[in-house]
Amino acid sequence: MYLLSGFTEGVFLIDFEFRPEHGREGNNPEPVCLVVKEFPSGVTSRYWKDDIHSRSSAPFSVGRDALCVAYFASAEMDCFLKLGWKLPENLLDLYVEFRCLTNGTTPPNGAGLLGALLYFGLPSVAAQHKDAMRDLVLRGGPWKSQERLDILDYCETDVSALELLLPAMLPTLDLPRALMRGRYMKAVSRMQAVGTPIDVTTLLEIKTYWEQIQDALIAEIDANYGVYDGRSFRTKNWADYLQREGIAWPRLPTGALELTDDTFKQMARIHPQVAPIRELRSALSEMRLSNITVGDDGRNRCLLSPFSSKTGRNQPSNSRFIFGPSVWLRGLIKPQEGFCLAYIDYAQQEFGIAAALSGDEKMMAAYRSGDPYLAFAIQAGAVPQGATKQSHKVEREQFKACVLATQYGMGEVTLAQRINQPVARARQLLAFHRSTYRTFWAWSDATQDEAVLNGKLWTTFGWEIRVKGQINVRSLRNFPMQGNGAEMLRIACIFLTEAGIRVCAPVHDALLIELPMAEVESGLSQAQGLMRLASRAVLGDFELGSDAKVVCYPDRYMDERGQVMWDTVMGLIQKIKGQQPAVASHTT
Amino acid sequence: MNQTNPPFSSLRLSQNFGQALGVKKVLAVVPVTKPSKDRFFRTHESPQWVFPTWILENKSTGETFIAAPEVASAIGDQALAVELYVAIDRQNNPFLIPIPLPGPNGVRNRWHESRLQAVEKAKSVWIRISSNKDLGGYDVFEATAKLPDPDWPGITLDELLEVAFRGRIITSVDHPIVQERLGKI
Repeated sequence: MYLLSGFTEGVFLIDFEFRPEHGREGNNPEPVCLVVKEFPSGVTSRYWKDDIHSRSSAPFSVGRDALCVAYFASAEMDCFLKLGWKLPENLLDLYVEFRCLTNGTTPPNGAGLLGALLYFGLPSVAAQHKDAMRDLVLRGGPWKSQERLDILDYCETDVSALELLLPAMLPTLDLPRALMRGRYMKAVSRMQAVGTPIDVTTLLEIKTYWEQIQDALIAEIDANYGVYDGRSFRTKNWADYLQREGIAWPRLPTGALELTDDTFKQMARIHPQVAPIRELRSALSEMRLSNITVGDDGRNRCLLSPFSSKTGRNQPSNSRFIFGPSVWLRGLIKPQEGFCLAYIDYAQQEFGIAAALSGDEKMMAAYRSGDPYLAFAIQAGAVPQGATKQSHKVEREQFKACVLATQYGMGEVTLAQRINQPVARARQLLAFHRSTYRTFWAWSDATQDEAVLNGKLWTTFGWEIRVKGQINVRSLRNFPMQGNGAEMLRIACIFLTEAGIRVCAPVHDALLIELPMAEVESGLSQAQGLMRLASRAVLGDFELGSDAKVVCYPDRYMDERGQVMWDTVMGLIQKIKGQQPAVASHTT
Repeated sequence: MNQTNPPFSSLRLSQNFGQALGVKKVLAVVPVTKPSKDRFFRTHESPQWVFPTWILENKSTGETFIAAPEVASAIGDQALAVELYVAIDRQNNPFLIPIPLPGPNGVRNRWHESRLQAVEKAKSVWIRISSNKDLGGYDVFEATAKLPDPDWPGITLDELLEVAFRGRIITSVDHPIVQERLGKI
């Protein structure tokens, strides 16, 4: 309890029940009730919908001397924002801390509240009852008086669970860093509240014509391959095509053709003729338009699922998040009138993190040069001093591929395929990396030793991964770059959202922000400055830069990798509309 | 948040993995060999890192033994008086290059002389060598790129020799290799 004695205004365990506004996924939450339990006194307060909606602030202290505790706290903070309440100064999320405690292992009952209770041998409510009560909340009102009582009772059981869980977890908590993670959960709520503006009209058009678009795409692209049967990709037809073309294709240990998108991607580099079929497969298989959750205000919102991946990154649903499916669909992102969107991503984040955390001076110098790939080639003596991107384009591309290969733990054979060069060249490039960046490699070796001998690794702010069972050396070596990259983006999210910048979504090592048209320059400069500051938080005195891509109304956002597909689909829509003047109206 | 101290600096954890564990690379193998034609190498510039000795080569196993002087005299020209130069390749692997000493007439054969010139050159630049039968010596290829200096292992010459000849020092004519060479087994 000593850890909590500093919170003189109290420790409050809280839980909201809520449903999406108007029952529509993609909308902000509509709080239904709130239960607050003071810890350790156990004094409990229950608030029904009308009561909480009539309040202008939380019914308990949220100041710097109070602590708010919740399980998956971004949901509670979503409700705070919806109600216009000031967010708690100190937020402890036991879900996040449970994830941190068990990351790298598989808790037998999952990472939900029930799973955490069972992990610590604590009593819990039956999962079945939980599901039934959730359904009752999601059904929406009006609720009969008994239903209200049932919902409040249910909400209280979750808070009572926290009352058991908190003391059980206290000895495992690293409170200062846990509160930092709690601060990020507030940022998550702010981002979820903003959401990403979507061109709803075009989305509806694509949905309306999607069946015909698919058929037209298949007819257009598959004409040269003959592998589709209706809308199904037939493996046998693909095998026949490969045989006709004399292409040796990777196979599984069973002898069956390897058909992952990654295989198609790599093979497309060696045999460019397979690239269009890869695009088609990707477009058709990843396309689940109806799942992209867009609220009444035309903004994509979904659970960002913070701290869900081993590296601590967010893991939003691929089908619900606009950045999840095929990149061409990002063309649906469109700023609203009077606004611009800026996609800001850290420049060569992994390389910069590796350089700074390993203390490799040469690597740091390469990063600071602004073009680490070319600098690496120069440092390795493979191109002369003064070489430029234009004068040594091929070498630069190869050294770039080599840098990326080392980050992914790629071997010489795969690298050779990637750069379409003999294995000897790939071997030479990898040897260049080892001999040029010796300090980095010594640190990378030590990272592996630490993980294997000590059983865990951690980031600069204490996100841990435990090493159990079969060891994946590549991912362990890459953990400091990924885990600290996640820390950096989390801190950037904290800085930007707390500065009042509207962050629509975090995307791996990038942020999508929304700025009023008149404030684009100053807003962008402020955001990039805060992102630099976030990089210093993680890397000490080393700073990472960022690249920004700005798009203003009425233009739309576009990922260049998806431009061709976007244009194709838009062209097909026009063609279909031309052939079919009267289109049935589409309702959602 | 100020610009001099990074934010959250009091909460920042070190990423100096492995430091407390004290894991270090152990030099386990040091071959005694002529460098292959595709291997760029450097030799140690200090004369203190050249070791004169007698060696006995077992071609069938690829092993090289150090022979004590009395053993060398017992087996005659089967033992070779050499100087061992400490070399290292671009992948940081150390090895020893034997350079036979001049014969009783004070003259080295052309191949050996050529190899000596190469290892002397390798004290300051990265080179690779390739035999040229027509010339009866080695062609020397110098790396033109500005490559970093070698990262020599942090051990003494004695320690390096101990690794190179662990279990392969012949101090008595009773050693099976000597007995074999003398036709006694």
